[in-house]
Amino acid sequence: MAAIPPDDSQQERHSDKNIYRWLELAVPLLSFGGALLAILFIVTRTMVDFRVTILGCILASWVLAYLAWIRPRKDIVALTTPIYSFIFIAVPTDIFSSLVLELLYATSLTLLLIRLKYRFGIPGIALSDRKDLAEPLRTYVEQTEATCTGISPETAHRATLVFVRFAEGNYEDAARVAGGVAGQMEGAGVSSCLVRAFKIVKDHAALLDTSSPRPHTFLTFSPEDAGQLAKSGPVPPGDQEFDTILDNALLLLYSVAWTASERDRAHLLVCQPFAQKLLMEV
Amino acid sequence: MKIGNIEVKVSIIAIAVFVIFTIFLVVASLNSPDVRSQLIWLVPALFMLLVIPTALNYMSRSQYADIAPVYEAQAKTVRIRLINESMVGKPVRVEGVVERVHFQILNRPQYVVADRSGAISVKMFTSPDEDVKVNDLVEVLGQVIRRYIVVGDPVINCVSIRKIKKS
Repeated sequence: MAAIPPDDSQQERHSDKNIYRWLELAVPLLSFGGALLAILFIVTRTMVDFRVTILGCILASWVLAYLAWIRPRKDIVALTTPIYSFIFIAVPTDIFSSLVLELLYATSLTLLLIRLKYRFGIPGIALSDRKDLAEPLRTYVEQTEATCTGISPETAHRATLVFVRFAEGNYEDAARVAGGVAGQMEGAGVSSCLVRAFKIVKDHAALLDTSSPRPHTFLTFSPEDAGQLAKSGPVPPGDQEFDTILDNALLLLYSVAWTASERDRAHLLVCQPFAQKLLMEV
Repeated sequence: MKIGNIEVKVSIIAIAVFVIFTIFLVVASLNSPDVRSQLIWLVPALFMLLVIPTALNYMSRSQYADIAPVYEAQAKTVRIRLINESMVGKPVRVEGVVERVHFQILNRPQYVVADRSGAISVKMFTSPDEDVKVNDLVEVLGQVIRRYIVVGDPVINCVSIRKIKKS
C-alpha cells in the first residue's frame, strides 16, 4: 500500500479545514440571511411567496447536518435538523409568525453549530472507517518495525488472531492461540520480547476467561524490552502495572501483525479503535 | 407494588400525568354536564393512564428477571477499558462505582460506572431492582451495544445492576 506523501496530505487537510470553516459560516449566514430577506420583503411590501425566505433555514439545516455527519462522534440533534426544517416549511402560518419562527430557528441552528464545534470534536473519519493507521498508533508501529524482521507470516497471522479474539472478548480462544504460539517459539529456541508478549496475553486472557482476580505475581517484560514497548515509563506497582503490561503486550502483537501480515490488515483496521484506546489511555 | 415475584415500579411521570388528568376531569365534570355524561368511558380511560405504564413495567421487569440468570452464567468479568466496538453483542460483567445517574424518574435510568481502568455508560430500559445512587459500588450485568444502535461508542445495555458490599 503506497503511503501518501506528507506534503500532499497536509495540503489536503488545510483545504479541508478551509471548506469546513466556510460551511460553518454558511449556517448562520443562510439562516439569518433568509430572515433578513423576509424583513426586507415586509419593509418594501414586495409581493412574493413568503416561504422563499425559509429556504435559507432549510439549506442551513442541511449544511449543519452535513457538518454533524462528517464528525466521528455523531450529534443526533444536529443530524435531524433537516427534518424539522421541512416540518417548518410544510406548516402554513401568517407572515409575522413565520418571521418570528425563522429568527428563532436561525438562532437554534447557530447554537447547535456552536455545540457541535465544542462538544463533538473536529471533522474527520471515524477510526473504525479508516483505511490506514491513525496517529499515534502509526508512529508506534513504525518504531517497532525492526522487531518484526525474521518473523514468519504465520506467526504474524497468529498475532492478529490473538489480538482480534482478545478485542472481541473471546478470551478462551485468545489464551489458547497465544499459548500455542509462545510454546512453539520457545520450543524453537526463540526467547524474545514477542514471546513474552504472547505469554503475557495468554495469562491475562486465561484470567479474564475465568473472571479471576489479579494474581500477586505475574509475568512482566524484561528491562531490555523497553525500546519496543508502547508504554515504557515508570508505573506504580499493582493494578496499574498489571494493566500496562497487558497494554504493551497487546500493542506489540498489533504492531507485529500489521507489519508482517499484510493480508490481515482489514481485520486489524476493524480493531484499530481498541488499539488506539490501549495506547492513549493511561 | 408486587405482582407475583416482580416488584413493579410506576414512574413519577406516569403518576403525575394521572394526577393532572384527574384534576382536569374533576374540574370539567363539575362545570359541564356534557362531560359528566361521558364519565362512563372517561374514568376507565383515566385509569388506563396508570394501568398501561404498570403493565409495561411488569412485562419488562419480568423479562429482565428471566434473562438475568442467563447473563449471570455467560458474562465474563471485564475491566471497563477492555470494552470496545469489537465486543458489541457480548455479555459482560463489570464492577465499579456509580459516578452519575440520569433519567431515574422515567424508569429508564442511565448510569456512568467507573472502575480503576475507565468509565462507561450503562443504560437500563426498565427500573432496577435496587435504588442505585452516586458513589454506590455496583456489579453490572449486561450486553455491549452501540450508543445509537448502529453508531456511537460502546455502552452497556444493563440487564441487572446491584449494589455490592465494600470490602
